[in-house]
Formats: sequence, C-alpha cells, structure tokens
Amino acid sequence: MSLIELRRADAGYPSGLADLPRPPDPLWIEGDLAVFDHVPRIAIVGTRRLTGYGERVARELATAVATGGAVVVSGLAQGIDSAAHSGALDAGAPTVAVLGEGIGSFHATAGRRRAQLAQRCVLVSPYPPDAPALPWMFAKRNAIIAALAALVVVVEAPPDSGALITAGDARRLGRPLFAVPGPLGSAASVGTNALIADGLARAVTGADTLLVALGLAAATAPSTPPSLLADALAAGPLAPDALAELLGLSAASVAASCVADPRLVTLPDGRISLR
Amino acid sequence: MDTSSQARARWIDAGVIPHRLQYRPEVPFTVSVGRATVARVSAAVARTLTCALWGLEAALVTVEVDVANGLPAFSIVGLPDTAVREARERVRAAIRNSGFEFPLRRVTVNLAPAERKKEGSGFDLAIALGILRASGQLTKDVAELCLGELALDGTTRPVRGALARVRAAGLAGIEAPVLVAAGSAGEAAALGATTIAVITLRDAVEHLEGRARLAPTTAPLPAISDPLGGDLADIAGQETPKRALEVAAAGGHNLLLVGPPGTGKTLLARALPSILPPLDPDEAVVASAVHSVAGLLDPGHPLLSARPFRSPHHTASRLALVGGGTPPRPGEVSLAHGGALFLDELAEFSVAVLETLREPLEEGAVTISRAGHAATYPARFTLVAATNPCRCGHHGDPDTPCTCLPEQLDRYRARLSGPLKDRIDLRVAVPRVPYARLQEHGGTERSCAVRSRVLAARELMRRRGRRTNAELTVAEVRRHCSLRPDAERLLASAVQERRLSARAYHRTLRVARTLADLADRERLSLDDVALALLLRAP
Repeated sequence: MSLIELRRADAGYPSGLADLPRPPDPLWIEGDLAVFDHVPRIAIVGTRRLTGYGERVARELATAVATGGAVVVSGLAQGIDSAAHSGALDAGAPTVAVLGEGIGSFHATAGRRRAQLAQRCVLVSPYPPDAPALPWMFAKRNAIIAALAALVVVVEAPPDSGALITAGDARRLGRPLFAVPGPLGSAASVGTNALIADGLARAVTGADTLLVALGLAAATAPSTPPSLLADALAAGPLAPDALAELLGLSAASVAASCVADPRLVTLPDGRISLR
Repeated sequence: MDTSSQARARWIDAGVIPHRLQYRPEVPFTVSVGRATVARVSAAVARTLTCALWGLEAALVTVEVDVANGLPAFSIVGLPDTAVREARERVRAAIRNSGFEFPLRRVTVNLAPAERKKEGSGFDLAIALGILRASGQLTKDVAELCLGELALDGTTRPVRGALARVRAAGLAGIEAPVLVAAGSAGEAAALGATTIAVITLRDAVEHLEGRARLAPTTAPLPAISDPLGGDLADIAGQETPKRALEVAAAGGHNLLLVGPPGTGKTLLARALPSILPPLDPDEAVVASAVHSVAGLLDPGHPLLSARPFRSPHHTASRLALVGGGTPPRPGEVSLAHGGALFLDELAEFSVAVLETLREPLEEGAVTISRAGHAATYPARFTLVAATNPCRCGHHGDPDTPCTCLPEQLDRYRARLSGPLKDRIDLRVAVPRVPYARLQEHGGTERSCAVRSRVLAARELMRRRGRRTNAELTVAEVRRHCSLRPDAERLLASAVQERRLSARAYHRTLRVARTLADLADRERLSLDDVALALLLRAP
C-alpha cells in the first residue's frame, strides 16, 4: 500500500490535530484517507497487560460504537489497543491506528498478530517511515490519538500505564474522558478506577453511554437472553470447577451448558470465557 | 503342534545350534549340522551357546573355540566390540585364578553368526567354558545357555539384559537350562526358564561335571507395586482435573494439565499410577524386558507388576527420550511402555526433542536405525504433560498478576503447537485452589475407588477388542459410539459452532466413549459428550 505524506496545508489533513500545540507536519499515512471524512471519531486505549475482562469490554465497546457510526482510533499496541481495533473491524468499520514509530519500522518489527491487524487499519504516524520505536516517541503518539478523537475511553490501565498519559492529553485538549470501571483488586483497573474516583473521567456503564456522548443514536443492542453462565463469567474467565461451584451445579451440567452456548469459548489454558 | 520344537528345528537347520556334538579331544569326531553329518572334524573345537542383544531383539550366538598347535595366542573373531575383545584378558585371568590352566597354544574364539556385531561383556562365561572344554579340562559338553561376565578372580558378574536374552532364547525354542551369573539369576529365572546360578567359574565346571550339582533358582516374586506417588484423596479440590486423570487412565488418552505453579499439576500426574490398572502378564514381560535391557530391573523382583511411570527432566536429550546410542539403548518412551510418560514443564523441553515423540505416539514403537542395524523398542504409553499457562506462570491466576504481554503469551503457546498437540486428547485447567478449600478434608474419593471404575471400564474396552479406547480406529468409533438424541444434537451444534475438524470429532467421541464406559453406559449421554468437548484440547 502506498505511503502518503500529508502536509498541514493539504486537503484531507485530519481536523482536530490543529488543537495540538505543535500539530505534526508532515503526517505519514498508509491506507484510505477517506476515513478522516467520517466523524465522530472515538479513542479507545488501555494497557498492554490486559485481563480477559478488559479484552472483552474493549472489543464489545469498539464493535458497538463502530456499528453506531463512529471511527475507532487507537495505538495498535498489544492488549487493549489491539482488542479495540479488532472490535471495530468485527463491525465492518474502518479504524485508525496511530503509531509511535515509523510505518516502515512497524512493518519490519511487529509480531504476527499485530501485523495482520495492521493490514486492515489505516496507519498514521508523525515519524518518517524508517524511524525505529524509542520510548520518548510514544508521548507524541498518545497526544495525536487524543486530538484525533472527539472522546477518549480508557478501558484498563494500571497506575503507571501509558494510557493514563493519553487521558491527561485528552483533558488538556478538552476532550471528554471516559473510563471503564473494573473489579476492585484487579491491578489492571487501578488507574481507570482512580480516574473515576477523582472525578477526572466519567464511568462507562455500557456502549450506550458513549453513543449518547457522541451524539449518535443508541443502537439497539442485539438482545441476548440472560444467562447465569454469562453473568458468572462477566468479570473474567473461570476454570470449569470454579464456575460449577459458583452456580451450584455439577461439572458435567456446566460443561453441557458451556459447550452448547455459542457465546462462550474455552481458552487455551482450559478456562471458560465469554467470547 | 509344538511351535518351540519347530523353532528349535529351524535353528538346528540354520546351523546355529549344534544338533549332536560328539567330542573326544584329539580324536577325529563327527559334527552333525542340521540332520545330516556334514563333516568329520579333526581338531579340538568346542561349542557353547550364549545370546547377544540388539534392541529387544536377541540373537543366539554360538561360541566356537578352537585350540590348535602353534605359537601361544588368543584371538576373538566374529565382529566383537571393545568390551567383547577385552574378554580375552578377563577370561585368561579368570581361568588361571580358578585353578585351571590356560592352554599355552593357539586359541581362536569365533562368535557365530560372524556378520553380526556383538557388544558387551556377557559372553565371558561362554568363552571360558568353551576354552576349558576345548582344552579337555571340562569333560562334558555344555548344552546350557551361558550368560555372565567374569571377574579376574573367576567370580561371575551380572549381565545387562539377562531377562531379555533368556526371553529371546525361549522364543527361539531353546529349552536348555540357563547357566547364569548369580547376580542375574533372578532376571533369568523370572520367566520360568530352568536357571542355574553360578557364583564362580569353578562352580560352573563342578556343576557341568556333575560333581556338585547346583539346584535351579526358583522364580522370584514379581515386584511389589510402587508405594510412591500420592493418593487422589490427598489433593484438595480439582474435581475436573481428577476426572480428566481418571479418563486418561481408563482410556489411555494423552493429557495436558495447564495451570499456575504450585497448584498441584505434578501432584496430580504423580497420582496417576495409583489409579492405573495392573500390567497384563504379556505386557509385564515386554515392559520388564525393556527395563532389563536398560539395566533398570530390581534383581530381587525382576518382573514388573505395576505400570511404569517415567518422568524425564525437561533438559532430557533426544537420545534420552526416544533411545539411541551404540548399541541402541531404550529411551524414556520405551521404558514407559505399557504405562505413562510424564513430561513436567512441557514448554521447557526443547522443540527438537518434543518433535521426536511423534513417531512413538503414532506407531507405539521406536525404531532406532544405525549403520548396519536397526533396533526396535516398543513405546506404547499414555502421555501426561504439565505446563504453566505462560512464561511468568501466572496467567489466569487470581492472586498474582501475570506480567506477560499478549505476544509473549502467543509465543509461549506456540511452543506446544504442532503435531504433538494433535496427539493430545485431553486438556484441563488446574487453577489455584482457595485457602478455605485446602483446609477441607474428606469428601474426595480415594484412588482405590477410582481405580475400580478404571478396571471395570478397561474390561468393557477389552470386550470391544481393544486395550484402550484411545486405540479405536475410525471405523470402530463409528461402530461403538452410538449417541442419545440430545447428545447427538449437542455434538452437531458443537461441530458447527466450533468448526471441529474430522480428527477432533473422532477424538471427542473416543473420550466420550471412555466417559460412558466409566459410568457403565452403553450409549453416549449428553454429559459424556459435553465433558468430552470441554476437555478437548484446542
């Protein structure tokens, strides 16, 4: 795919970046520029060390807002970012990935899973194609993610997470900030819970929260019948025995319901998880 | 039809066994090979019989000793290896130190058949007796199968693989008693062969001359079951892993345990022997023979009764795992024949080493090919493997957060992928057990109760014509796995939803068949199929 070097003065330069103190000039883009014609855009970011809960929520939120008509922007890192991108792609919507390194350098070094994702994302980078990733380069990437979006959601972030830098950028740029509340005691949710507790971010109680904030019609979510199993697994994957104990059922009957329920999957380590 | 005497006749025709040997020193005498007198032999040639090993296959070896006039010399021909060639020095000293005279003439020892490579020190006794016979110091022919190494002072030392050699001789139709070093007498007598245990070379001569007859060794008792390894009741919680272990024991399905460190994966695997059925008599003979070749039998109780449980360390090399070397020794997969092979920390094994498990898992045997020869060892075992869920070991552990990145997880899991994963029927999570549960006692089943279910299930499998359900062919799966209607629907939806391959489908049915056998059900129920699907390896 051809690489576009987009100047600030060029037509098609994404709106929103002008809010940055020093907008990137030029901006390197690989993919269909038309994606920037779509608004609103929403940033979904989070930690690389995600939990099963974070992965599911990031994916579900991304699918819901993408179905509602928003473009998902994230950083194509491992973890929450990748889950957000694939959630948007599941909805058949385009998604924008802002890289903290040169696009060529990314292609040369990314792992198999992210390389496959990247083929279906619009890649954006403020750095020349051959610039290798260095720790200081990601702060600029985070600011661009916040600037591109109308609204920023942090799904999971431990206290030292880079996603909290994006959250700070969002506040500086005046973008509404949302955070996904997580289970108490989960290290991956300490940062997001603190954002909510400190009043810096609004809590996400469902995809509808975001759709309303974006001014989109609340999509009618595909109604899934309530299930004890899905409830028990909402907080994260469980081993069959733990699930059986939680529900007061025999292991065999839990097995039967798990296998019959298309919303559930068995993880490579044998635990059962919501899809 | 007496097959053993037929086999004997075949060996006689082949010239391996002397049919009738009339021997008078220094007097021309006749030798019959086959059933015809083929030659009149004028020199002093003595023959004794011994047995060489190549893998589990043993070849009868005739030791021919010629003592001729000429410059004093002692040579061994017939492709001896270094240990056999060094027999010259041991035999010379042993003969002298036993009060005999080593002939000061030209002594030639031929190990026939000559084209076969001979290794080890087990031929010493046969060579020494042959020399004594050829030089007239022993006046009786030696019809016995002679096995033993000699010390310089004339005492005997045990030989490796005595059980395997005596078994092979028996299969070849040799009915002669076995004259064996006292240290190996237990092994030699284990299968019921008449065994004369000799402590010194002189004992052997006195016995053969009839001056001091030795009583045959009585067959030793089989080994008592290994009391090591835990009882299932000692492990708190972990009901589904225990169920998976029971299924593996009953149906011979390969099992993968996944869980954070310290949750009892190793403890569970080590409890497997306590629920395995005992060895069948014919399996016991083969398993004991493999252990005999490896020199691992307890001389007091050489015949195994419990199924072997082998747990090689994860630094094991390819040779250690599948066998090899010159001469080829059995590896862990063969030592686990009839039992279980436990690979703890599966992901830490080198990928190249794990690849070598493919053939034994597929064929139930290992063939080690080396220049000139191929040795085949049996290797039909149940694979039990344990692994951490990730590099740091805490993925999915509610107490300790995992520090691995998603791509590191991918890489870790990829180490277990490929053909090996294809052969693993069961995969089960072994999660951390809450403290409250650790305190609980009772309520869990003891191993003996589980074992009786396993035995009953194995009996059902035997009636179906297979040792275990894991060995059922696709046609047999079709014939023996009829489903109840609700189970049928569940399986159909699972095949669609989860896109099961044909292989995974049959594997699920085999496991479900074992679950039904354990519950003594003729048709597979919903629970059987559901649990089989849940325990299905990805």
